[in-house]
Amino acid sequence: MSLELVVQQALNGISFGALLFILAAGLSLIFGMMDVVNLAHGAFYMLGAYVALQVVQITGQFWIAIVVAPVVLAAVGFVIEPLLLRRLRGRHLDQVLLTIGVGFVIVDLIGLYWGREVRTLPFPPGFDRSIDIGGSAYPTYRLFVIAFAVLLAGTLYWIHRRTAMGALIRAGVDDAQMLSALGVDTDRLFAITFAVGAGLAGLAGVVAAPAFGIQPGMDVDALIFSLIVVVVGGLGTLNGAAAGAALVGPAETFGKVLFPQFALALIFAIMAVILLGRPSGLFGRIRIGR
Amino acid sequence: MAPLASIGFYLALLTFPDWSGAIEGSRYMTTILRDMTVFAIYALSLDLLVGRAGMPSLGHAAFYGSGAYAAAIASQRLATSELTVTLAAAIAVSAALALVIGLLCVRATGIFFLMLTLAFAQMVFAVAFQWTDVTGGSNGFAGIARPTFGGLETSAPEALYRLVVIVFGLVSLLIWWISRSHYGRALVGVRENERRMRALGYHTRRLKLSAFVLAGALAGVAGALSAWSFRFVSPNDAGIGRSVEAFVMVLIGGAGTLLGPIVGAGVVLYIDRVLSSAIPFSQAVLGVVFVAFVLAARQGIVGSLRAALVRVRR
Repeated sequence: MSLELVVQQALNGISFGALLFILAAGLSLIFGMMDVVNLAHGAFYMLGAYVALQVVQITGQFWIAIVVAPVVLAAVGFVIEPLLLRRLRGRHLDQVLLTIGVGFVIVDLIGLYWGREVRTLPFPPGFDRSIDIGGSAYPTYRLFVIAFAVLLAGTLYWIHRRTAMGALIRAGVDDAQMLSALGVDTDRLFAITFAVGAGLAGLAGVVAAPAFGIQPGMDVDALIFSLIVVVVGGLGTLNGAAAGAALVGPAETFGKVLFPQFALALIFAIMAVILLGRPSGLFGRIRIGR
Repeated sequence: MAPLASIGFYLALLTFPDWSGAIEGSRYMTTILRDMTVFAIYALSLDLLVGRAGMPSLGHAAFYGSGAYAAAIASQRLATSELTVTLAAAIAVSAALALVIGLLCVRATGIFFLMLTLAFAQMVFAVAFQWTDVTGGSNGFAGIARPTFGGLETSAPEALYRLVVIVFGLVSLLIWWISRSHYGRALVGVRENERRMRALGYHTRRLKLSAFVLAGALAGVAGALSAWSFRFVSPNDAGIGRSVEAFVMVLIGGAGTLLGPIVGAGVVLYIDRVLSSAIPFSQAVLGVVFVAFVLAARQGIVGSLRAALVRVRR
């Protein structure tokens, strides 16, 4: 591999990792609070991309889409949690199963409404060109993805550590029952958590769309990658999502270049090694393999 | 009464091509029944995990798919259509794979087990999709030769149908026998309270791993049968959709019962084949049905009917 290629692939890997962080943060947040692995997360991500497509078609503005899609998805999450998940409170496995069905419905309705072919979302104005990095042209949009994810991570950390909402979330992750006993409306907190998680999935969908395309099956890819990230990084913590994304993103990208036929198998090998050596993931507090 | 009825029902199923000739569309119905039966084997194999041992695997398609590929590739590479060879290849590959994935997953329980099986099964999908030289990649693997057994050909639809139904009978017997055996009860014990079983001296992890391998091997058998039925295998047969399908069959039908997965297979195949040609959103319907069962009838059709029957008798 030439140096230019290494630089280019490293940037690709980092930008893919940045996207994975946005995606996994939502999954991890919901899990941390509600003990539910939301298997509709990939469907939420996909819906975010399609809502963005629709908004861009109507308004022609990517920057409106990047606001609208997460809001729409947060609204979807805010409805689904009380409507469906709350009925099964305490039955975590059944809640997870429920999200499978929800994902099925969302993905099929997307196909019905928007069609089942590959779509593209143009790069937003200002980020539609390439700049010279290390002697080769590199698309600026991918750099934007990196910067955006870093900014988002900073914001999320700030909310998590410094705001009242963050304190509630941290308390909920530690002991939701105790929080409820202390008089906090956990029903509302859970609905908000689920909404924020869904919104983050939607946000990842918009951000991903110009660079990674919009196509059937993107929901599964997103779900699997976010699961791998949280297993590797550790479930339920922001650090875990960040560490997992930072590891999995570049590993996938370089794997694709070095072993084209077994790129994904490499990722799973990493996951297997981490599971055997550190069952709670890099930064997790919950042991996945007991 | 129940055993007699099952035997009668089974014999009717086995001889369906012989007595249904007068019914309109009986050839199509034979095909549908054959595919239903393949799915039923697949669902029964998953129920060994979900229903008996309480291991919610969401990656069962890995073994179904690998069985299908193994049967297809063995027959192509070894230039044989001998059932004993190709079916053995399917069983060996899917069981070996289940052993490897199982070793990594059985340490986890509940949601974590579900997550890990889902993720590792996707690895099998990725290999099927990316390892083009062997698997044909995204185009899949077409023109699979139907098996011969001794001198018997199964290229005729009726012969293949009979093979599928006979295998289904054997698998059902095996599952029925397991459910009554010491081993099957130990699995239920693990489901109900793993720590207590361990305290009683059972090697629970080994029990779970053995169930995982057995279920994987049986799913491989179902996969091989599907490869011969459709004469086509694609990465989708190892994909998450196929895994979810099995789970839906077990849950809708009724986990932990012998009849439930079979009924569930019928429902899912009906939605997949019949309903999907009538409406363009059959998968959404499947999703809604699944959500409804999780919310309102977690024991599935058979489980709910049984509970209702008990209530009536009282």
